[in-house]
Amino acid sequence: MKIFQQSTEFDYSWEEVSTSNWRKYGPWNHKTPHVVAVDTLSRKVDPDTGILRTERLITCKQSAPKWVTSILGGQDTSLVYETSYVDPAVKKVTLCSMNITLSDLINVRETCIYQPAASSPDNKTVFSQRAEITALCGGWQKIKNSIEQFTVERFQQNAMKGKEGFEMVLEMSRKVFQEQRDLLRLQQESKILKEATI
Amino acid sequence: MSASLAPECNEVKERYDTCFLKWYSEKFLRGTAKSDECDPLFKQYEQCLSKALKSRGIDTMLKEARDDNRENDAEHMRPKR
Repeated sequence: MKIFQQSTEFDYSWEEVSTSNWRKYGPWNHKTPHVVAVDTLSRKVDPDTGILRTERLITCKQSAPKWVTSILGGQDTSLVYETSYVDPAVKKVTLCSMNITLSDLINVRETCIYQPAASSPDNKTVFSQRAEITALCGGWQKIKNSIEQFTVERFQQNAMKGKEGFEMVLEMSRKVFQEQRDLLRLQQESKILKEATI
Repeated sequence: MSASLAPECNEVKERYDTCFLKWYSEKFLRGTAKSDECDPLFKQYEQCLSKALKSRGIDTMLKEARDDNRENDAEHMRPKR
């Protein structure tokens, strides 16, 4: 088993980050073309805890070098099952994901957490990510190690691109919210606009 | 918003996602969410998506994943300390 772990900070409030997280892989993000679809399977607020639980299916398309596909097969589409838990009372988002394709050959489990940064809880958010990668394919330990190593490196590259892409989403999101607020204020201040419907 | 794995569901997904995002930021995070007003849209989207999942055999893969995920639910859905 190999472990990939990192944490990073975003200069946005937890509310902004947790909202934008839902559109992390939308058109505002040009850095993660390997995520081609994100579908919501179920969503519910737990009446006892107030936690929002969401199940999503994430579709990725990313090619792999030949030595990897010769072991894992040539499929370039992979599916990830994710459950997330948003606890608004303690301001915590937890995302747990696992691969559902090739799951008899490799097991990837990831947990990501977004929480307000201790240093500046109102306008900074800490993102921490931990993934455990275990190759299950039979055969030499050496092959298993190389497959795990390859997957960890992929994780590293994708995590970097993921952060860059998410920064773009956060920036756009703030801009759009600001524009909506400006428009609303303008509407309230202007008599003509007040009578028009926007 | 991101696309659906089933292109025929994109339109209804977009409508649901937009509804959800508004509800999440304006109501859920502010603690004023009462009912899930996006539920009717979700049902339409779900109906479209479940057909696609079934025809591609993804529904059985999901069943296994859900079984594997029980620990996460137990850990993260705990009642508040």
